[in-house]
Amino acid sequence: MDTSNPAVFVNAQLIPNFIGKRVRTVVQVNQYSGGVATAKSTDDSQLTIKGLPQVPIMNFIEVIGIAESSNSIDAELWTDFGNTFDTNSFNQLCQLANGEFKGLFL
Amino acid sequence: MYSNSSQFDGNAAFSGGGFMPSQATQATDPSLVTSKNRDAQSLLPLTVKQIYDALQTNDDKANLIVDGVDINNVTLIGRVCNKAERVTDVTFVLDDGTGKIECNKWFHEAADTNEAEAILEGMYARLHGHLKNFQGKRTLNIFHFRPVTDFNEVASHFIDCIHVHLHNSRIRNSVLNQQPGMNSAPITPTMGYQAQVFPPTNHFSDQHVNGQKSAENMILDFLHLPANRSRNEGVHRDHIAQHLQISLEKLMLAMKSLIDEGAVYETIADHYKSIING
Repeated sequence: MDTSNPAVFVNAQLIPNFIGKRVRTVVQVNQYSGGVATAKSTDDSQLTIKGLPQVPIMNFIEVIGIAESSNSIDAELWTDFGNTFDTNSFNQLCQLANGEFKGLFL
Repeated sequence: MYSNSSQFDGNAAFSGGGFMPSQATQATDPSLVTSKNRDAQSLLPLTVKQIYDALQTNDDKANLIVDGVDINNVTLIGRVCNKAERVTDVTFVLDDGTGKIECNKWFHEAADTNEAEAILEGMYARLHGHLKNFQGKRTLNIFHFRPVTDFNEVASHFIDCIHVHLHNSRIRNSVLNQQPGMNSAPITPTMGYQAQVFPPTNHFSDQHVNGQKSAENMILDFLHLPANRSRNEGVHRDHIAQHLQISLEKLMLAMKSLIDEGAVYETIADHYKSIING
């Protein structure tokens, strides 16, 4: 068992609290060029994701990586969540996981 | 014929699947047992962090408790890593983002081996398993494994964890605040160690809201001190009276009421012990 290196559920709004730390989020990729993807977060902000391979444009991608700044993540792991995903639920989950129920996650 | 009313009644009451008292009694006991087993075997959605933080009860079974509920069977969602397949079993680490836990699945038949081959490094999986707690190490013994295909299930699982946490902690709070008459409510068997500890105390505090902190309460608090709990013979009444600085007469009055409530019992001559001392 090991809980020393968690990946916190975040949306764009929560990233500033975790700069330099491991986070996980789901984004919809809008653009991809030269290893850098521009993507929309679940709370409708633009994020820059580094270290992604070519992924299908407009698909939802889960990214686990280090938050580099308030709007960029250096991806370590990624999973293609397909082209349908309930961003609203995920966004709510991010807020719950960083708010009232933080103890269950961090 | 059937117009004979006594014959008709007999059929209805005894042969027609009616409610003979003896049948009813027999039926009650097994159903109680099953409901208890069902509680113990319920499948709880949890995060790895919750398992990590789970309290360990003191008994030999080494059960773990989350939100006042014994956990045995759990369901988790996470990414599979460090998979190692052997002839007899497969092991891997599940990372759900809140932490990592070692999992293993024993092969019982050929189909299990096929299932294990479907476990791929880096994939999201839904697991059902039995939580093992051995020598402080918590691992998961899996009996069901399924790759996640709709990723909304990931968010849904964590929302589920929050829901169940809220549900169980609310039940526990309501047990803590409930009136004594409700102690026999059906939720009691699911309650953990701590939940069972407090009702008597609260009961007495409710009863004596307007008075000084009641003697009953003080006695219970005193008997619940770890040093006193560990004494098999209980605590002598003089010792209690001396500690609480109340007269022996007043003490025995309160003690009698505690004994009548079943919260305290006498062990050997003039020694008393709380029922929750275990």
